[in-house]
Amino acid sequence: MSADINVREKQEASMNSTETTHDRTMFSPVVDIWETDTGLVLVADLPGVTPDNLSVDLSDSILTINGLIGSEVEGRKSLIQEYEVGNFYRQFTLAEGLNQSAIAASLKEGVLKLVIPRLAPAQPRKIEIRTIAD
Amino acid sequence: MSLFSFSPRVGRMGLPFWELEKMRDHMETIYNTLSGGVSQVKKNYTGVFPLVNLSEDDDHLYLTAELPGAAADQLEVSIKGDTLSLRGEVPASQLGEEINYHRKERESGSFRRILALPVKVEVDSIDATFKNGILTLTLPKAAEAKARHVTIKTE
Repeated sequence: MSADINVREKQEASMNSTETTHDRTMFSPVVDIWETDTGLVLVADLPGVTPDNLSVDLSDSILTINGLIGSEVEGRKSLIQEYEVGNFYRQFTLAEGLNQSAIAASLKEGVLKLVIPRLAPAQPRKIEIRTIAD
Repeated sequence: MSLFSFSPRVGRMGLPFWELEKMRDHMETIYNTLSGGVSQVKKNYTGVFPLVNLSEDDDHLYLTAELPGAAADQLEVSIKGDTLSLRGEVPASQLGEEINYHRKERESGSFRRILALPVKVEVDSIDATFKNGILTLTLPKAAEAKARHVTIKTE
C-alpha cells in the first residue's frame, strides 16, 4: 500500500549568471539523487520534455539540465490553471571521483535518469591493526 | 450531479479552510503590491494531487495533468455525469529501504481526485493520452453545451 501523493507547487529556477533567450518561466525540476555501489543516480521530473528538447551538459564538473517544452496550443481559453507550464533548468556540481565521461542518460515518460559511475569502485578495505608487542 | 459546482473563485466558500485561503490570497496581494505590483495569474488552489489545467475551445474541453514517471496502464479515468475522476499511481524511482539519498524531492504514491466539469460532455467519446509524463484528456462538449452561432436575418 503506497502513501498518497501530496501536492507540491513548482519552484522557479534560480538563474544566476545565465541569460536565457526564452520568455517562458523556468522551473527547477524536482530530483532524487542516491548512491549505489558503483556510482550515483540522478532522477529528475521533466514533464512535457521530449528527448529532442532536452540537453544535459557537463563542463567544469557542473552538470546542467535544460529541458524545453513545446508551445501551447493556440485558440484555447483557460478555465482552470492550477499549475504553470514552463521550461526546466537546474545545475549540480559533481563531486570528484565520478567518471564524468561515462554518464548514461535516459528519458521516459517525462523522467530523466542519469547514471554516473565512479572512477574506481570504492572497495571496502579492512585495515589491519597490528599489535606491537613490547 | 457533482457535490461542488464549477465556479472556481466563489464555489470554495463552502470548503473547509477557505478562511485560510482567503488570508493567503490577501497576503499574496500585499506581497505583489510590495514587489512592484506584478500581477500573477490567479491560481485556483485545491491542494489535491494531481494539479490540473483545464481549457476549452468551441467544441472541446481539454484537461491536462503532469504525472511524470507514471505509466498509462496505472492511470484510471472515469466519468459520471459531469464528475470526472482521476486515479492512479506514480511509482517511486527506487524501491528499498537501504538507499542512501542525497536528495529526495520527487513524490510517489497513489492519488485519487474528482473534479466537476463546467459543461456536459459526450461521455462516450472522451480521448485520453499519456505522453512525456503528461495526461491529456480531450472531452467533446455535449451538443447542448456548444456555443451556437445564430444568424441574424435581415428582411
